[in-house]
Amino acid sequence: MADGEVKVGIISCSGEEIPEGTISRLATRRVLELMRPGNTVTICLPLFLAGNEAEQEFARKHPTITVDGCDKLCAKKGTEKYSGPVSAALVVSDILNGECACCARSAKDRSEKDKEAVWMVSEEIAKAVDAILAENDGCGASENGGDGAECACSKPIPGIEVQVDGKSVTIAGLGMIFDHLAESGLAADGSSGDKLLETVRIYHQIEPEEEDDYKAALISAYKTHRRQ
Amino acid sequence: MENHERVGKDYEVTAEGNGTKVILMPCSGIGKVHGLIAREATYAVTDGLAPEGSETLCLALLVSGDEEAQAKIRKADCIAIDGCPKLCAAKNVEMAGGKVIRSIRVVDAFKDHRGAEPGTATTLADDGWTIAREIAADIAGCICAGTGEVK
Repeated sequence: MADGEVKVGIISCSGEEIPEGTISRLATRRVLELMRPGNTVTICLPLFLAGNEAEQEFARKHPTITVDGCDKLCAKKGTEKYSGPVSAALVVSDILNGECACCARSAKDRSEKDKEAVWMVSEEIAKAVDAILAENDGCGASENGGDGAECACSKPIPGIEVQVDGKSVTIAGLGMIFDHLAESGLAADGSSGDKLLETVRIYHQIEPEEEDDYKAALISAYKTHRRQ
Repeated sequence: MENHERVGKDYEVTAEGNGTKVILMPCSGIGKVHGLIAREATYAVTDGLAPEGSETLCLALLVSGDEEAQAKIRKADCIAIDGCPKLCAAKNVEMAGGKVIRSIRVVDAFKDHRGAEPGTATTLADDGWTIAREIAADIAGCICAGTGEVK
C-alpha cells in the first residue's frame, strides 16, 4: 500500500441466523467488488475477534465501517473492543426500516426483495466509505494506489459510454445499474426507457430537456449490454 | 490438552441426544468462496435436509461473548464448517465452551473436485453448489432428524 493511501475496512457481521446477516454480507461484498473496489478491504469478523494480530492491527490503523444485521451490534461491539471506535456503524434492520421479513438467508431462496435490500444497504455503505475518504483526504492519496484503483469520489466505478444526441457521455456505474435492472426483470426493449431514466438519474445528472435523448441512448445501451 | 488445541483433529461422536438440536456453525468467511460454501451447506441442512434436528447460530454473536449464545452452545452438540484451515468456527465454538463433534473443512471437499470452478465469495457457481450439497448431505446423514441425536 502506498504511503498515505486510505483503505477503509468494512466488517460485516454476516450473522447466520437471520436474513439481515446475509444482506450485510452481500452488501459488503458488493461494495468491495463493484462500488468502491480500490478503497475498501474486508476482514473476517470471527478471525478478527478470535485474536488474529494482523487483522486487529489493520482495524486499529485504518478507518473502519461495521455492518450489523441487527441491533445486537456484534460487529461494532467486537471491533470497538479490540480496535477502538469505528468510523461508521450501519445496521441493516435500520436501513431497511424493518422491511426485510420476507428476505432469505440462503442464496437459493433469494428474491427481488433480497436484491433490493442488498442494493439499498450497499448504497449506504458506499456513502459511508465516501464520507470517510473525504475526511481523510483520500482522493489524492488513492490515486497512487498500488492496485491501480481510482479515487472513490471522482470516478468511483467503471462507466459505460453512451451516445446522447450525438455526444459521447460516460455514465459511471452504468453496467452495474443495467445488471441490477436486468436481474429485476426489466425488458430490453422500448418499454424500459422510463425505468432506465428514473434509475440512472439518481447517479447521473440529467436535465429535463435532455430526457428524451437520454432515454433513447439508455435503451440502446441497455439492449447492447443485455446482448453481451 | 486445551480445548482449542483439539480443533481440526478427529472428533469422537459422543452426543447422547438430550433433546436439543445440533448446532451447525459455518465460518461464513467473507473473503473466499469457501466461506460461502460453508454457509450455504449449513442452510441446506437447517432449512432443507434436517430442519427438525439442526439449527444455526450467529458465529459473530457467539464470538462477541453473548451470554445467551454461549449458554446455548454449551448445551448442544456442534458441527463446525470452516472454509479454510484457520478453523475460526471450530476454534470459537470450543473457546466458548461448546462441544465440536465434527469439524468439517470445505477446503478438503475440493480434493474430490479437482479443477472445480466454485464461484466467488459472493455467488456460487454450479460446482460451488455441488460441493455445498455434498457437505450438507454428509452432515444430514449423521443427524437423526427430529431428535437432534448424532449417529
